Amino acid sequence: MELFDCGFGIADCGIINLMIAEFSFFQSEIRNPKLVNGPTMPKLVIDDREIEVASGTKVIEAAEQLGIMIPRFCYHPALGSVGACRVCAVKFLQGPFKGVQMSCMIEAQDGMVVSTTDEEAVDFRKHVIEWLMLNHPHDCPVCDEGGHCLLQDMTISGGHGTRRFAGNKRTYTDQYLGPLVQHEMNRCIHCYRCSRYYQEYTGYLDLGVMRSANRTYFGRFKDGILESPFSGNLSDICPTGVYTDKPSRFFGRRWDYQRCPTVCINCSLGCHTVISFRYREARRQEARFSEAINGYFICDRGRYGHFYTSLESRPRSALINGRQVAIDEAVQAVHKKLTQIRQDAGSLAVAAVGSSRSSLETLFMLKHLCRVNDWGDPVFFMNQGITAKVQTAVTRLEPELAVSLREVEKADFILVLGADPINEAPMLVLAMRQAQRKGAAIVVLDPRPVSLPLEFIHLPAALDELSVLTANLMKGAVDRTAAASLGERAAESYDAAPDGDWVDETWRELISGVTHDLQNSLQPVIVCGTDIVPHQIPGLAADVALLLRAAQKRAGLFYLLPGANAFGSGLISDREGSFLQIIEGIENGDIKALILAECDPWREFEDRKRLEGALEKLELLIVMDYLNSEAVQKAHIFLPTATLYEADGLFINQEGLVQIAAQAYEGGQPIVQSAGGDHPARIYGAGIPEAEARPAWRMLAQLADKNIEHTNDRAWLADVLPEFASLPSMEDIPDDGVRLQSAANADLRFKGDYASPFDKTKLQDDHLEVILVDWTFGTEELSAYSSCLWELEPEPCATMHTSDAESLDLSDGNRVVIETENGSLEVNLRVAENMASGILLVPRHRRLDWQVMGAGRVRISKNSIRKVG
Amino acid sequence: MYPQILFQNRHPDRVATLDEYRQSGGYKALTDVLKNFAYMDVRQTIVDANLLGRGGAAFPTGMKLMSVAEDAPFPRYIVCNADEMEPGTFKDHVLIHADPHMIIEGMIIAGFGTLAEHGIIFIRPEYERAAGILEREIVVAKEANYLGKNILGSDYSLDIVVHRSAGRYICGEVTAQINALMGKRPNPQQPPPYPTTKGLWGQPTVLSNVETLACLPHIIRNGEQWFKDLALTEAGAGTKIFAVSGKVNRPGCYELPMGVRLSEIIEEHAGGMIAGSEYKACLPGGASTGFLPPEHYDVEMDFQPLRDIGNRLGTGAIMVFDHKTCLVGAALNLIQFFARESCGWCTPCREGLPYIRDLLVRIENGEGEEEYIPMLERMCKHLWSAYCAFAPGAVGPVESLLKHFKGEIREHVSQKQCPFK
Repeated sequence: MELFDCGFGIADCGIINLMIAEFSFFQSEIRNPKLVNGPTMPKLVIDDREIEVASGTKVIEAAEQLGIMIPRFCYHPALGSVGACRVCAVKFLQGPFKGVQMSCMIEAQDGMVVSTTDEEAVDFRKHVIEWLMLNHPHDCPVCDEGGHCLLQDMTISGGHGTRRFAGNKRTYTDQYLGPLVQHEMNRCIHCYRCSRYYQEYTGYLDLGVMRSANRTYFGRFKDGILESPFSGNLSDICPTGVYTDKPSRFFGRRWDYQRCPTVCINCSLGCHTVISFRYREARRQEARFSEAINGYFICDRGRYGHFYTSLESRPRSALINGRQVAIDEAVQAVHKKLTQIRQDAGSLAVAAVGSSRSSLETLFMLKHLCRVNDWGDPVFFMNQGITAKVQTAVTRLEPELAVSLREVEKADFILVLGADPINEAPMLVLAMRQAQRKGAAIVVLDPRPVSLPLEFIHLPAALDELSVLTANLMKGAVDRTAAASLGERAAESYDAAPDGDWVDETWRELISGVTHDLQNSLQPVIVCGTDIVPHQIPGLAADVALLLRAAQKRAGLFYLLPGANAFGSGLISDREGSFLQIIEGIENGDIKALILAECDPWREFEDRKRLEGALEKLELLIVMDYLNSEAVQKAHIFLPTATLYEADGLFINQEGLVQIAAQAYEGGQPIVQSAGGDHPARIYGAGIPEAEARPAWRMLAQLADKNIEHTNDRAWLADVLPEFASLPSMEDIPDDGVRLQSAANADLRFKGDYASPFDKTKLQDDHLEVILVDWTFGTEELSAYSSCLWELEPEPCATMHTSDAESLDLSDGNRVVIETENGSLEVNLRVAENMASGILLVPRHRRLDWQVMGAGRVRISKNSIRKVG
Repeated sequence: MYPQILFQNRHPDRVATLDEYRQSGGYKALTDVLKNFAYMDVRQTIVDANLLGRGGAAFPTGMKLMSVAEDAPFPRYIVCNADEMEPGTFKDHVLIHADPHMIIEGMIIAGFGTLAEHGIIFIRPEYERAAGILEREIVVAKEANYLGKNILGSDYSLDIVVHRSAGRYICGEVTAQINALMGKRPNPQQPPPYPTTKGLWGQPTVLSNVETLACLPHIIRNGEQWFKDLALTEAGAGTKIFAVSGKVNRPGCYELPMGVRLSEIIEEHAGGMIAGSEYKACLPGGASTGFLPPEHYDVEMDFQPLRDIGNRLGTGAIMVFDHKTCLVGAALNLIQFFARESCGWCTPCREGLPYIRDLLVRIENGEGEEEYIPMLERMCKHLWSAYCAFAPGAVGPVESLLKHFKGEIREHVSQKQCPFK
């Protein structure tokens, strides 16, 4: 009976590869040792080596700091110690504990002498591995985890090879868990990481533990799509192949991929990820540890939001009037035509639009191009009013106020002001949940029906009520003396802040309870949205954070911005400029040529009818992009650009961290084969595959006649914005980014811009204000191209308050038509109780023609909504 | 005949009523406690009486009450553990059917000792009739103002509810029971924090066995010295209910002084071995204790003497095996139970027990190998490094089989069949 428990073909399993992977996983911990706190540091001896660690450090963590990797399955730095798997057993020789004990369960103490190599401990660990392998299938050769499987690793390193157990293996039924995660329960070793992560860490309950003893089952009560938008992390944390990444299933071994650290650009948080390419195709993305931002996890929108990169329909060749041309020919044609238009119609006849999904290089080079040609400044946001709010956030995020996502976890009070975290920046929710698990009170001031997997107090106030309620909350927690300590203007602003009488009686009781929590907090954080809020809110949030600091609280400020590089866009935007002005310019014939650099007004702009009308009059439409957008179809000249994975690029996240997204793969290069085999390329063609696309900024530089010798040269950024002179060179930007210090401007403090007292009676009863909103899935531009996420999208619907629905004789689930000046929208209606009345929420959903709603703050008559069918 | 304390109102055909209980001195202790005792004195009396927990772990009950700090937060809970699932054990069942008010009074006294506001009786679902009796008598006690608001005119208030378990052996473990009561999976939880600091819903919680609580009124009424004098051993205290089963003439529940000899229990109280049977071994305290070989036939049945010979008194449920019983088969039967009842939390218990079961099945079926014996020995030893006390208890019978009856295992292996079949 010579069976081998780790499956045949051990040499093929890439043990060395996975050892490195796992080790680097723990190195991140080593690089960031816990805070050193003086004399209480216990000193202990592990394997004859002495080490001093911070108090509270577990023995398993202390060993890690020495570079000794004690085996583990259930232990995970983010999930903590529970002592379930028993594989981290070591022998305690001296000190308060004796004998074989679990190193994850015991805190390092003075005088401990620990051996990881003691015979008894080794024998016990070997038995644990043998027990775990009793039922584990020998399917390593066909298992997607093979090669980065912790169990495989531990089985080999634990020395368990020969199967002694003569009994049968257990067989479970697998479940369908949706399009992202593949379930294979027979491989389960019952470490409980998945259920602890899913239920305790993320707060969702549809996946967990069932049954008992060796029939214990991890899954859902019934087959079905996982409800958590953080479900992809299951593939990362499962120490074996129970949960594997479904979209990359059977596509490659870990070592087959070209893997590269990068950042996520599917929202403004800038989480750290690793992208994996194979055969010129981005196929998998995993979370990458980041001390400052996302910790160990990422959300599903980020993880699976990269598929636009490798879509077959991605436009890969330059086009002039639909004719395929060499890219240099197209760039020259653009250059020539723009020069011509400038000569004929003056410099203001050319306008440029970018977007916050572009790298800083592209944004800055677009600005530079406009500047050298005397064109108007580029516009980076298409929604009316957003630019000013983003700029306020950028200039009001003073360095001492800025907190990182990981610092949000440490808050003891979180005020979410005009933000819907799960829909706008999902990972923020995980941070908030960790804060709440440690006892933080969470208050959400937002008119939308905010839903979070944690306990929170929701004040679904109207948009115009937000400033009054916030100011009132602040006044309850900060006294005037504290405010006055910040100077005269602060005192004036404090006095001008509305007090209790302004607050609608609906909220009084709730607000007073919340005020009490804020008063007692030591480390409050204000999370402030910039999307739907009135213009004064971002500034007010900063003022409140300053005042809370004056009241001796370590208050922090955390903005959410519209887009991965919205911060970068805000730095160089013209506050007065807007896309609407450009449209007007085209309409009245002033603007004749339009450059769209990695943006799609067909998707983003709220008034499509007007957009299309205007563009009819345009002489030249130049589109540069990597998405197969509507704009690309309409372009006179199209230039294919590289995605963030195909060129080095900088992105500034919402807290002002400049981060580098390194090039993972370069188009046109031969396929990299690190293992044997001669697999064919997947797309056949005459040219070199993927060779055409170039970083947008390189082509913009060509248009601006700017010569940049080295691809790594970023000194020119300072030409656009002098503050960037202090930016370290590309090679020296640390993994956790560089915080941009100079953007903030303390002169902007305490403008005292509060809205007038909110008067409900002024609300026009026969009108609803349209608010365009984001959803976790289906509204974000890049992830909308990932077909695997489509299944997760709920049916797009418009949402209104119960009282509004009643007044219109509508009910939840009705199909309605909304007539606007620009057309009509047929959509399902959702009716909610936990939201403000007087508003109609419409998601910017890819499956909805919401672009009939019109630009700016739009009110529609209730009569324009009617039931159909 | 030894004094009958816990069984003083035991009738073969019916449950003792409140009046009967009162006539035998019932609720006098409670009246006395509420009038004349500071709650800290109650604890001290129990400490002095040297009462050890009767649920199997023999934890000093007084110490447990003492560990609820004076400034601990409210509400506090008192839980009566009636989840009697140890194979061979049926003493709590008999006790509830004999005299439910004794348990209720014991709970109130223990509750007062920690100023608990809520009481819960956690009972196994198979004891539906017992649960019904307790629920009925709780109402009776409430009507007599022994329960509810301001008990007997004092400042102390307590309510008691009966909670039926969903039914798993592990729910008898203190921390698992607390999880089960909160609607969580009944996984044990390694202290600290101890339940007396952070138990049910994070509040101080005292959890005690039915028989343990039933001792309290008598200790209060008669004093700690009286209680200690009940035992035959110097260090012991009180009486013990022994639930005897197996190859004896009169299996059943017997209340005997702590420290009575095993030989006396079998021969005098249980009527001796049945005709044609010779004593081979017994499990002295339920399925999670070890086989007691004939050389310990005269052992004093108290916690310490059994500990001295490497065994445990456990719940005092004595299962007697005769010379015709295959102990490999018996151990296999028990391991089968424990492998099924593991909560599934830690690897040694979840996977190690089925492994041991598999080896025993093979040995019993005549497919055993000599090398299985050292494998069993090592695995049993390693199961002591499991998460909670379940696994070490579960391998108790197998370990003692290996220690005292290795020859019998070898016979199975060498004869390639069970010698008893």
